[in-house]
Amino acid sequence: MEIDALPNGNSPAATSTPSPATTPAGSTPVSKAGQLSESLKLEHQFLRVPFEHYKKTIRANHRVVEKEMSSVISGVSQAADGDLSQDDAVSHLNSLVSRLQGLKRKLEEGNLAEHLQAQRCKARIDHLESVDLENVAEWNNTRVKRILVDYMLRMSYYETAIKLAQSSNIQDLVDIDVFQEAKKVIDALRNKEVAPALAWCADNKSKLKRSKSKFEFQLRLQEFIELVRDGNSMRAITYTRKYLAPWGATHLKELQRVFATLAFRSNTECLQYKALFEPKQWDFLMDQFKQEFCRIYGMTLEPLLNIYMQAGLSALKTPFCYEDDCPKEDPLSQESFRKLASPLPFSKQHHSKLVCYITKEIMDTENPPLVLPNGYVYSTKALEEMASKNNGNITCPRSGLVCDYSEVVKAFIS
Amino acid sequence: MELSTVRDAFDRVAKKQKVSSSKSQEVIDQVGHEIEQTVAKMQSTQDSSTPVDQKSILAALKSKLNTISPQNQLEGSQKELNVNLNKCSKVLEKVFNPDISKAYRNVDFDIHILNQIIANHFYREGLFDAADCLIKEAGEPEAISLKCQFVEMHQIIEAVRSRNLEPALNWVSANREKLTQVGCNLELKLHTLCFVDILQKKSRSEALNYARINLAPFASVHMYEVQKLMGCLLWAGKLDKSPYSDITDITHWEKLVDELIQQFCSFMGQSSSSALGVAIAAGVEGLPTLLKLANVMAVKKQEWQAMKQLPVPVDLGKEFQFHSIFVCPVSRDQSNDDNPPMLLPCGHVLCNQSIVKMSRKGTRTFKCPYCPQDASVSECRQLYL
Repeated sequence: MEIDALPNGNSPAATSTPSPATTPAGSTPVSKAGQLSESLKLEHQFLRVPFEHYKKTIRANHRVVEKEMSSVISGVSQAADGDLSQDDAVSHLNSLVSRLQGLKRKLEEGNLAEHLQAQRCKARIDHLESVDLENVAEWNNTRVKRILVDYMLRMSYYETAIKLAQSSNIQDLVDIDVFQEAKKVIDALRNKEVAPALAWCADNKSKLKRSKSKFEFQLRLQEFIELVRDGNSMRAITYTRKYLAPWGATHLKELQRVFATLAFRSNTECLQYKALFEPKQWDFLMDQFKQEFCRIYGMTLEPLLNIYMQAGLSALKTPFCYEDDCPKEDPLSQESFRKLASPLPFSKQHHSKLVCYITKEIMDTENPPLVLPNGYVYSTKALEEMASKNNGNITCPRSGLVCDYSEVVKAFIS
Repeated sequence: MELSTVRDAFDRVAKKQKVSSSKSQEVIDQVGHEIEQTVAKMQSTQDSSTPVDQKSILAALKSKLNTISPQNQLEGSQKELNVNLNKCSKVLEKVFNPDISKAYRNVDFDIHILNQIIANHFYREGLFDAADCLIKEAGEPEAISLKCQFVEMHQIIEAVRSRNLEPALNWVSANREKLTQVGCNLELKLHTLCFVDILQKKSRSEALNYARINLAPFASVHMYEVQKLMGCLLWAGKLDKSPYSDITDITHWEKLVDELIQQFCSFMGQSSSSALGVAIAAGVEGLPTLLKLANVMAVKKQEWQAMKQLPVPVDLGKEFQFHSIFVCPVSRDQSNDDNPPMLLPCGHVLCNQSIVKMSRKGTRTFKCPYCPQDASVSECRQLYL
């Protein structure tokens, strides 16, 4: 579906725009379809994550095939170059054949997994294409749920994420399985185990290298510190030789600093080195992992909820929101939203936008503002209706002043 | 928005993946076949075999495999697949905005406040399981009174949706005074739907009985509606052919649910739509502008973090306009209590400070910048928007 920005709804051709507002002079006309198109452009993460997952699966499966194939080929070479008895040669070759058959099975399984992931990607493309002006309310509702599931997953509220996804049937549209992969590593780190994290680094070696990540290095450092903490100085040194030395070229200073912990004990009072023995280091590793993880999958570092909320609250924030008579429909009438919005900048308006106190509708040239003798302003629609039901009398709902409809004057606000 | 290019790129990838996969199967089959043939050859010459024959058979196998070169074949098809994977990635980056966090400010949201907002949102939407789960996982205190009220609201709505109007009627009669105060005739609407339901499903006399008990009290204020309903009695059983056929329209039920929600929430002091939903929707509309702005201001990181007001307007739809904002056409300032909007005698409006300036602090008459009508400060009236 190609959504091109339609012209402003005033033209007779654009019949599908549901709210053709007369925009004040000078501001950019934005049609509903154009807005829809802009909002879809924000959904990079939505498609990128399953796609990265798909790529990863394809590459991992291919590596398996490559490896098995080369060992089979070298197995043949072995038999050809070696001196085996006939029986041995036959059984060796037969074992190669059964390895190939096993490989075929693995290939089929891998193919199935890839197919499922391709389906998921297609389902998401379908979902993006499915939105139109009729179902936009429901589609937006789904978007809110997707954003909330993303938040739950990042905060590690896995049960809530699963419940929410199941109840609204959006399992294909959220990345629970990707995050569960991360959960294993995070839980292990919480238990002070680095093994799953190191395995993850091995799985994603090339990508981590490309982004010049030093996460693996930090994991190794932590393992080293644990060895020192346990008093295993000799093992610590051999560990350094094997695992830390390769990083020395690029991260020498940090390596030296941590290596020096050998000289101290884990209950050292020296501040610089005491910090390295703190359990907080593990929290730091968990955060690092979350960041690397998000980077690899093309996800934003912050939850989508925070990103959208910041933008929304700032766009809605006016000094009037903090007054007592702020209408309840404004989210910023609630204390919790006000607190969240307090460090954010206020919105700015270049043109007047007036809202009738009675009808809550915009007062523009089609529904111009009228001024009572005491200066209070209401929309023409509201006052006309009030006058027609009350013998031409108007009562100001805020000041209580009663006057006749003929006494109001029109105000011209551009 | 060229979603079709994304779909095309992805379809190409999926196709190439199938090709690559079947190629791999083919290659594996080929190699397996060669080895099996070799084994057969070796076993068939069992009786007259000599080690020399075996050696040459195996050497033949080895060179045959070299010719087939399975690893190169595998690599070749994978390479093609990789090219398409990379193309698809590039298409994604082109069609979508690759980083929507560029406009993010480094202010942390209090997690507890955010979790409570989400829990309240779940209550409102009727997702009570998710709310309870969240509260447990996040360790937040439960907002019991809010939860109970929303539970009640959803019970009423569920009942209405399954055509049981009793809980709704109970609630409406319990809140009769408040509803009449705001001029809402929900009670009449409920009885109307009940009446029509009875008329369609049961007998005319039952409907008449119902009307006598429940519709009669409304006759004085809502004479016209009650008369219409009485007229329906004549078409019992064939309402859809009567002039009142639209009364059987099922959309009335959904509209009733909407109105119930609105009144219920309003009595609770809440907005009729979820505040979280509104804030996110505003964010979706406003984010593209903010991202463009962040791009332009990319170098001035400090300014971005520290600004007290956005330097450009973020246009939101009408549904997000909750406050009257007056912007003086002369000074471009937003009016506030210290600088209120003033009505000139010609009907145009300027902010107070502009008037003070143009009138040289009230000493002279000035010309309205829109129509050249003269005005003096004393003729200007303060407006309350």
